[in-house]
Amino acid sequence: MSDAPTSPNTEAQTRVRFSPRRVWTLAMATVTQLVRMKILAFLVVFCLLAVGAGFAFSVINPEQQLNLLKSVTLGSLQIFSIVIGVVSTALLLPKDMEDRTLYTILSKPVPRFDYLLGKLIGVLLLIGGGLIVMDAVLSLILWLRQSMLFEDAVARMQMEKLDSPEAVAQVREIVARQGLTWNLHWAVWAIFLKATVVTTVALLLSSIASSTLFTIVITFCITIIGHGEALIREFFFQPNLSGMASRAATLVLAVICPDLAQFDIVDSVVSGEIVPWGAVYDMTGIAALYVTVYLFVTHLLFVEKEL
Amino acid sequence: MADTPAVSVNHLTKVFKGTLVKGAFRAVQDLSLEVKAGEVYGLIGPNGSGKSTTMKVILGLLKPTQGSTSIFGVPSTEVASRHSVGFLPENPYFYKHLTGRETLHFYGSLCGMRGERLKARTDEMLAITGLEDAATRRVGGYSKGMLQRLGLAQALIHEPRLLVLDEPTAGVDPAGSRKIRDLIIEFRARGITVLVTSHLLEQMQEVCDRVGIMAHGRMVREGRLEDLIAVENQTEMVLENASPALLTKINALIQAEGGDTKLVRSGRPRTTLERLFIEATNESKKP
Ligand SMILES: Nc1ncnc2c1ncn2[C@@H]1O[C@H](COP(=O)(O)OP(=O)(O)OP(=O)(O)O)[C@@H](O)[C@H]1O
Ligand SMILES: [Mg+2]
Repeated sequence: MSDAPTSPNTEAQTRVRFSPRRVWTLAMATVTQLVRMKILAFLVVFCLLAVGAGFAFSVINPEQQLNLLKSVTLGSLQIFSIVIGVVSTALLLPKDMEDRTLYTILSKPVPRFDYLLGKLIGVLLLIGGGLIVMDAVLSLILWLRQSMLFEDAVARMQMEKLDSPEAVAQVREIVARQGLTWNLHWAVWAIFLKATVVTTVALLLSSIASSTLFTIVITFCITIIGHGEALIREFFFQPNLSGMASRAATLVLAVICPDLAQFDIVDSVVSGEIVPWGAVYDMTGIAALYVTVYLFVTHLLFVEKEL
Repeated sequence: MADTPAVSVNHLTKVFKGTLVKGAFRAVQDLSLEVKAGEVYGLIGPNGSGKSTTMKVILGLLKPTQGSTSIFGVPSTEVASRHSVGFLPENPYFYKHLTGRETLHFYGSLCGMRGERLKARTDEMLAITGLEDAATRRVGGYSKGMLQRLGLAQALIHEPRLLVLDEPTAGVDPAGSRKIRDLIIEFRARGITVLVTSHLLEQMQEVCDRVGIMAHGRMVREGRLEDLIAVENQTEMVLENASPALLTKINALIQAEGGDTKLVRSGRPRTTLERLFIEATNESKKP
């Protein structure tokens, strides 16, 4: 036994700790896998859509034009990010189990939590990366469109001899408010947060469900319910429940189903309202809370899971 | 330290919980075994006798219903026990979008290896398993035998002291499986403990120091190979090109001898382990 390969005592007996490096390895493998599955093809679809929405229709009013561009592109971003988060999460975990890849991973000194976190971070990196690219594309198109529309409007006013400095300033102000502002990036951030929460829900479900289809369907149901949570609360709880009971019911509902309406700032961004810093902080905090709780529950379920 | 067994399984019982429709299934029943450090231990048994289940419990992939298992004295329920073990599951599969080399890099860095050491070790493993030519191809295009060899490389990447191999030769061609047998012999020479299952009994007979025969989730025979297959009061003759006439003559001679001498069996010779396997696993069916 003298030439046994590893030093016996030292590493075998110390507890295996959480390791960011290991999580990163798992996350990068996930990203590589997803990228090579050509999942990023949706970026191309998005760019086409953005260009189409920006230049294809010609609405007379510049305000409407910019509105349309923002609502179409942000709406599709939201859908893309949620669909990709849910589908790839729901595919990856059961696939690892079916292929017995999970056996080879977990028979290395890899705590199950690291594996889960690695998968989640991998999917989120992919979504985040995609959103950054699309944010850039969208910003560029919006900026181009904005300056074009402004010049058009000024030219028209000059023709009609209405180009008093005040009028021009007013048009500039309208176009600038509807055009490229920080709000756009906050909207994209909110989209990312919502996709993150929904992805974590999908991860939780796929750690207990045995089929991909089940995970996908239930996650989408939860997503839909999550958007209407405020409605449900109003509808069911207000009239007939006392204060405590209604609060408890609200809490239960909020725990089972994330209140996704919290992240809906896209509409106000589309209509050109300013997003206050406080709202951004709140959103981020709520998302972090949801992710932490769901990940913890997922861990509890996954640790007990028989593979 | 030297006498800490590489693997110890104590009164392991594994029951798979049933659903409402079908009842619970008892895959392993009160199984105890010990693999000493440095030996090659073969676990054999018919399909469904609980070999893979036992291995998964040893690796901490399944939780024992009763009993316990440990690797070099560290309970399998602790992640730390996995530092010193490499596992090749049956019919392994890997991320099909990664290449062979990337796959080994992935597993190496999961074990905390990095940089030059990881690179050198990866190349070494590719060379040992004969996958150098396929190293840059995606795993999705690998044949069954190549996957098996990649699985072996992956199990060895972090230089474990113990290898747990579940049917390493399944789907590998005869030359390949001979090579795997040679590798196991080499591992033993380097002091690596091996716990292996296989249905190729001839090869098991060649590599194993000890074997355990399982049937229906129980251990039905266990011991050193020589002890198990040697039958003290029997002699075996293997003839080549024997004519029927000669056989009749030999028979007559035996009968003439009288006393206790009798012909127990004649026919084509079989590997002795195979014979034992069939006897032992049939016995356990009867009661
Ligand atoms: N996850 C599971 N759920 C229910 N039953 C299972 C599960 N895994 C294995 N079994 C059952 O346990 C028994 C033992 O299976 P196991 O895979 O350990 O057999 P084995 O000895 O490895 O067989 P083989 O030689 O075919 O690989 C089988 O009858 C199998 O159906
Ligand atoms: Mg098996």
